[in-house]
Formats: sequence, C-alpha cells, structure tokens
Amino acid sequence: MSLFRRAATTERSRFDCLRALYRKFRAENTREARGLRLLRDWLSPAQRAQFEAKGYFDVIGSDSGRKYRIYEGTMTNVYELDEIGRPRMGWCFVPSGYLVAGDVMLAQKIALETAESASLAVANRFLPKAAQFRVLR
Amino acid sequence: MATHIVMDHSGDTRHHFDAKDFEALAKAEARFKELTGRGFTAAVRTGPGEVTRIRSFDPAAEETLFFPRLVGG
Repeated sequence: MSLFRRAATTERSRFDCLRALYRKFRAENTREARGLRLLRDWLSPAQRAQFEAKGYFDVIGSDSGRKYRIYEGTMTNVYELDEIGRPRMGWCFVPSGYLVAGDVMLAQKIALETAESASLAVANRFLPKAAQFRVLR
Repeated sequence: MATHIVMDHSGDTRHHFDAKDFEALAKAEARFKELTGRGFTAAVRTGPGEVTRIRSFDPAAEETLFFPRLVGG
C-alpha cells in the first residue's frame, strides 16, 4: 500500500513539473512576451537596466538632444522631461496596427533616437498631470 | 543567416535568409522594398542599444527591424 502511494506521489509530482514547464513555455511564447523580449534585445544595457528596475527607460532625441521617458504601455506613454527630470510634455504616437507594448515602445525608441522631429510631427501632445504621472511612476 | 524582423499583430514575424544565396538575397531585397514602400521604417543595430534607420536594402545587415508607419495616438 505504502509503495503504491509513493509511486502515485512520484507520478503526480512528475506531472506537476511537466505542467509547470508547459505553462512556462506558453508564457514565454505569448505575443506580449515576444514583444518584450525583442525590446530588451534592442535596448542599450543602461536602458535595459532602467526598464527592469523602474518600468521605463530614457532616450535622447536625435535632433534636439532632449530627454524622453518611455513607460511600458501602448498609448500616452512618452514624456519629454525638463532639465531636472520632471515631465514637461506628453507625446502620443504609435506604430499603426495592433502591436503589443514591447513593439510599440521599441518603435518609439527608434523613432526618437533616429528621427525625432518627424516622429513628433505626427504625434499628439498632452499635458502630463501630476497625479497621472505618479500613478505611472 | 540574416534576419528580417517585421513587427505585426502576432508580436513579430521573422524571415531568415542566407545572405550568400543570390536568390534568397533578391527575395529579401524585394521584401525590403515592399515593406518600406508600404510605409514601414527599417532599422539596424549598429552597437549595443544603438540603432540606425536605413532607406535602402543593406545585404550585409545581420538583422533588420521593420515597424509600421507612426501615427498620432
């Protein structure tokens, strides 16, 4: 009886391991996960560390040298910062189509770092609200 | 192997090709022209975190990323 119970327990734990492995595989291969993986691959080491720690990363505009902060998200997630790092202006621009957050953030990074003026020309501006900014971090 | 990474609703679609294969290279160039013609931006990595936009097909690029035209949100 005891042997049977031990065998059943072993079998169950093996099944649990396999199920956990399958769930991990599924989680790592969702479109959201793939988008975030692609983003991390293309961030600089400093940007990647900042994103892992704080959920946002900073980029420098290619034309003005101004600093922008890109938060995780797909909309109203880009802020131009002032000299002391406060949000001065919000900029809303996204790649067309339904893209996941990682892809949107990567497109925004490349746009600001390589064609800042052209990218902001299509963007809608919004005033950052203090409360909203606190929620975003 | 060189790769074209095209952002789309599935996350991204990757097209791998042998840059030494003339036929594969011609197909990759056609894909580049088709995507950029539709308004996609093409970019390549030039260093860790450093990115450059390209406007013409670069047969030597190991990885080229394409994202759709930007619009105001």
